[in-house]
Amino acid sequence: MHGLFSWSRKWWPGVILLVAFWAIAAWTNTVPLEADLAAKGSAALKDAVLDKTQVSVDGRDVTLAAEAFSQEGRKNALAAVEAVAGVRLVNDETRLVPEAKPFVWSAERDVTRVTLSGSAPLPASKAKLLDAGHAAVNGVEIVDQMGLARGAPPRFEDAAALLLTQVGKLKDGKVTISDISVSLSGMARDLGGREAIAAALKDLPEGFKVTANDVKAPPYVFQAYKDPVAVTLTLSGYVPDDKIHAAVAQAAAHKFFGEKLVDNLKSSVGAPSGFAPAVIPALGALARLSTGTLVVSDREVKLSGDALYEGAAAEIRAGLGKDFPNSFQYTPEISVKPASAPVDPTVCQQLFTDLLSKGRIRFEPSRTTLDPDSIALLDRLIEIALRCPTADIEVAGHTDGDGEDGFNQELSQKRAQVVVDYLVKAGLPASRFTAVGYGSTQPIASNDTDEGKAQNRRIEFLVR
Amino acid sequence: MAYLVMFHWGWLLASFLLGLAMGWISVVQRGEGLSKVTSRWVAALIVVLVALAAARVVPGRFGYWLDLGLILFPCYLIGCTIGAVLRNWVVARQRAQQAA
Repeated sequence: MHGLFSWSRKWWPGVILLVAFWAIAAWTNTVPLEADLAAKGSAALKDAVLDKTQVSVDGRDVTLAAEAFSQEGRKNALAAVEAVAGVRLVNDETRLVPEAKPFVWSAERDVTRVTLSGSAPLPASKAKLLDAGHAAVNGVEIVDQMGLARGAPPRFEDAAALLLTQVGKLKDGKVTISDISVSLSGMARDLGGREAIAAALKDLPEGFKVTANDVKAPPYVFQAYKDPVAVTLTLSGYVPDDKIHAAVAQAAAHKFFGEKLVDNLKSSVGAPSGFAPAVIPALGALARLSTGTLVVSDREVKLSGDALYEGAAAEIRAGLGKDFPNSFQYTPEISVKPASAPVDPTVCQQLFTDLLSKGRIRFEPSRTTLDPDSIALLDRLIEIALRCPTADIEVAGHTDGDGEDGFNQELSQKRAQVVVDYLVKAGLPASRFTAVGYGSTQPIASNDTDEGKAQNRRIEFLVR
Repeated sequence: MAYLVMFHWGWLLASFLLGLAMGWISVVQRGEGLSKVTSRWVAALIVVLVALAAARVVPGRFGYWLDLGLILFPCYLIGCTIGAVLRNWVVARQRAQQAA
């Protein structure tokens, strides 16, 4: 042992060479060692949920800079790097992602793009929301302006994904989550879109509540155009359902006569309440016009065109009757058709006969009240009467063969008088008209069939 | 430690061989070598360096270089010891043969 001590005092010259080895080893190995530790450190953080991660190595000391989403995640990340073989120290430069209060996220859609902004709770949720956005608005550019923040409410991702699906139903607008409050604004893409969005919002995860849903529906438009040249009535736009569609088509068939019905209506939800009670009287007013357009847009009813004479124009301007719903706004733009050239009484008779062969003046069954659907026909008769101001006209009432003769005669007389009163009220001189009731004495068809009876129940205009 | 050994095994082997050679020579080398006082100072220096390394107070690359030096040095010492003992054994054997 003593020998070993005495020999060891002579070992120092080798240390000079050893120091040289040390220097060369340090010179050549430092950078590779640092690179190796950096790679292993990064690999150890592969599964850690971090943002802005930076691993830098100085010798065997690793500096970890990152933003973590929880204290636990932060500790786990540090532990993972410390566990890497060869690491001497870990300098902790991690911090928690800032907490957003309130936690706000939004998606805004305009003509060209959808912009996602506000905060997302995790990088993975950001990616998930971008995917949901692409799926919702296929082909539209998605702009990601989302940051990361803590403080998201539970099931935030599900709520945001559901709202992104609704963005697909918007033409433009914005959806926002602020903590647990959800608000929406903008314009729905299609009719019924607003209702579809409102229905979908019922599936929001528990805890979220809709504080404002200001999504507007596109205008619900119904249009009717009376074309006197093509002799057509064209209906286009929307009706709420098949039942109302049938009711509108039936009303058009009753109120118009001679015009061919072109029905381009489609069914869609989203109609304002009181749609049918507003549209049907408006169609009646359109029927009285020589040419005209009816546009019902949401609760606005706009009727424009030419009335046949001044009295009719005034009546149409005055309103659409007591059944027209108050919630609708009626805007008439009615002018009067220029008076047609006067004609001989014989031509007048021809015009009356032609017109009454196309349509009949109707009354309520067994009563003397004019059917409102006949007003358009009466307007046309008045227009003809105005063209032959010198002719005296007999208004002749006829009934079918049913019932007693006395009753029929009286009924036909009264109905003829009602027509005369209507003409006088419209501004024609009472002296030109005589009301005569013929009862069932002058049938023009057999009273044995319903069809024949219907032909026999009639009002005729005879120029005397 | 295991990582350092694995990463620098070539240099550790070189230090060991250097030590083996130095130990081999030291047995037959004439002269006094380091004085007792100097040896103590050297020992004290090494203790200080080991303490610094154990406390991990030397930062960054300097800390790594210190660790590297402190694993090369024991290898050298072990080499020296084995070299000296072997040479001593060889010398003793030669002397015994000559005496016989």
